[in-house]
Amino acid sequence: MADACKYITLVSSDGYEFVVLRDAALVSPTIKGMLRSQFTEAQTGRCTFPEFSGVVLEKVAEYFHYWHRNRDREDVPDMEIPVELCLVLVQAADYFNLDARPSLRDPA
Amino acid sequence: MAEEPEEPTLPRLPLSVPFSDTRKRLRSMEAPPPSTSSDPAVFSSDDDPALDNYQAHGRRKRRYVGTWFDQQPASSDSALGDETGPNYPPPRRNRATPKPKKREFRRQLDSGVWMGTDGAMTDTDDSVDLEPPTARLSLLPPHDPAPLPLSPARPRFPDEEQAAINMIRRCVDNGIEDVDLSGLRLHCLSRGILEPLSHIAPIPNVTKDVAFEQKDAEIKVFLSTNLLRTFPLDLLNVEHLTVLSLRHNRLTRIPPGIGKLKNLQTLNVAQNSLRFFPSELLALLRKGGKLSSFQFQPNPFWTPVAVPPDNRGAEDYETRTFNPGPTPAVASRWIGLTTRLQARTPVELTDSAHTSYTRFVLPQTTNPAFAARRAPPLELEPFRQLATPRGLHHVLADAASKVAQPRGAKSLFELAVRACVRSGQADWIAAELRRDGEVGEGEGCWSAHLAEAVDRAADIQRQGGLECAVCGRETSMPLARWVEFRQVGQLDVLVGPEGVEDSRFMGLGGVSEGAVPFMMVGCSWRCVPVAADGVDGGGSG
Repeated sequence: MADACKYITLVSSDGYEFVVLRDAALVSPTIKGMLRSQFTEAQTGRCTFPEFSGVVLEKVAEYFHYWHRNRDREDVPDMEIPVELCLVLVQAADYFNLDARPSLRDPA
Repeated sequence: MAEEPEEPTLPRLPLSVPFSDTRKRLRSMEAPPPSTSSDPAVFSSDDDPALDNYQAHGRRKRRYVGTWFDQQPASSDSALGDETGPNYPPPRRNRATPKPKKREFRRQLDSGVWMGTDGAMTDTDDSVDLEPPTARLSLLPPHDPAPLPLSPARPRFPDEEQAAINMIRRCVDNGIEDVDLSGLRLHCLSRGILEPLSHIAPIPNVTKDVAFEQKDAEIKVFLSTNLLRTFPLDLLNVEHLTVLSLRHNRLTRIPPGIGKLKNLQTLNVAQNSLRFFPSELLALLRKGGKLSSFQFQPNPFWTPVAVPPDNRGAEDYETRTFNPGPTPAVASRWIGLTTRLQARTPVELTDSAHTSYTRFVLPQTTNPAFAARRAPPLELEPFRQLATPRGLHHVLADAASKVAQPRGAKSLFELAVRACVRSGQADWIAAELRRDGEVGEGEGCWSAHLAEAVDRAADIQRQGGLECAVCGRETSMPLARWVEFRQVGQLDVLVGPEGVEDSRFMGLGGVSEGAVPFMMVGCSWRCVPVAADGVDGGGSG
């Protein structure tokens, strides 16, 4: 369970698994909430998303790392979003709370 | 054109003849008599009067197969027969053929010989604006039962737009740079109508002993005294636009893309329904810019509450906030239009769902019902203060918060929305998101603001893109907005002998002329004004 602290696994609806840095995934308040103490996901480090297919979840995982890599930089080049995925990624961004909204109740 | 005569079907070879018979055949010495040939006679005739037969392929005679008296007289003498099919010999029937009618010469409506050729219809006319060739067919006798569609490909414009199209075409054809579209009662200009304007090229003056010089076009567009409600966005792509008059229309806003029109010298937007200008217009009202004449009154602009001027604070705020580059040097003297900051409002902070988090909220502009009302005076904030709304300090301190990242990675939501806009199908995507929201129960509400965000981003892109006033990055989701009131005036810069600039600013129409609002946009909650003189209200570093 040593690596479970550093990495978590995201599972898509069609069974694909993505192992991402825990710190990177914590950019999403949704995942942050899932990994909070008493839930099963917190113990196992596996988060299942039956809403999204592997293609979408791959892009989301890519964004986690893109954000993590560039978190302290300025003038970051935009991440490429394939046009055919843009509609479902808008919904995914909303699901993972990856839009520009302040988290007012969470003075972390 | 003449068709090759169809070969008569050959008689089948008797199967008894073996193919393996390779013996040399004896050559028969005598030629068969021509009368015994089974091939029908072939003759040619040149009696088709249609001109097409001679223009396209030279003078080629029509060939007929069979005896001349078997040919139908009508099949060979008209262009109509030519189009219906090739001239095959009629099948020979055993019954007596009807006596062929005598050929009569009557006027064929479609024949090129009897009709004077229309100038627009000749084959050599390669003008792109040829009408589809329905005119020719419509000359058929009126009892023709098939109704002919009237050029379905070209959309029909209202009369006033058609007049504008004709005017633009004339200007493009003749290289006229003054496009006068004023007073045409135009309600709107469909996309693409103004697009040919960028092709206007002046016809250079060629005289003896003068070097030939191709100069850039100086296109002048006059759209005054129309009924336009939206700025014609096609104009933003006309690079060499120098004069633009939109006086006396019903415009409610100027698109940010106007900052791209670097060659603009005269701009007239008086007598409209404008509330504010985009901050991008300031790119034209700058030292070294070309804009020398700018008419904007009267318009129902937002007005500020009265406040004592603070010139030092204004200067300090500008340098701290916008970090302006080196001002362009002027050679000896420069006179042009610039602006001088007088006041600014507090900042309105919103999130990507366009929900406001501040007490100060800018008046509605998109909803026509609100926009029609006269807005109350806007409250102002002194330059030496910056009030971060209560309860938002921790948000700005949180580095992980996407609203507080001025130049870092964009949020996935914004990236995805931008991809939607870039796909060119933003309308469809917004409709799809709305439909999803209606179908899905329970979490149905979560799609509503997504569709709105896509709509807003698509609108921003149509208007020519939006730039963050502070960090200069392109944004499709402005999160901070405030208004600066600036006085437009003439700056007279005189460079002295020691290179010392002596500048004098004179407000247009005297000092009494009120300041004009410019909408400033920030792409994050940190791309906001910086308080002048170090008196910090908190929040920004």
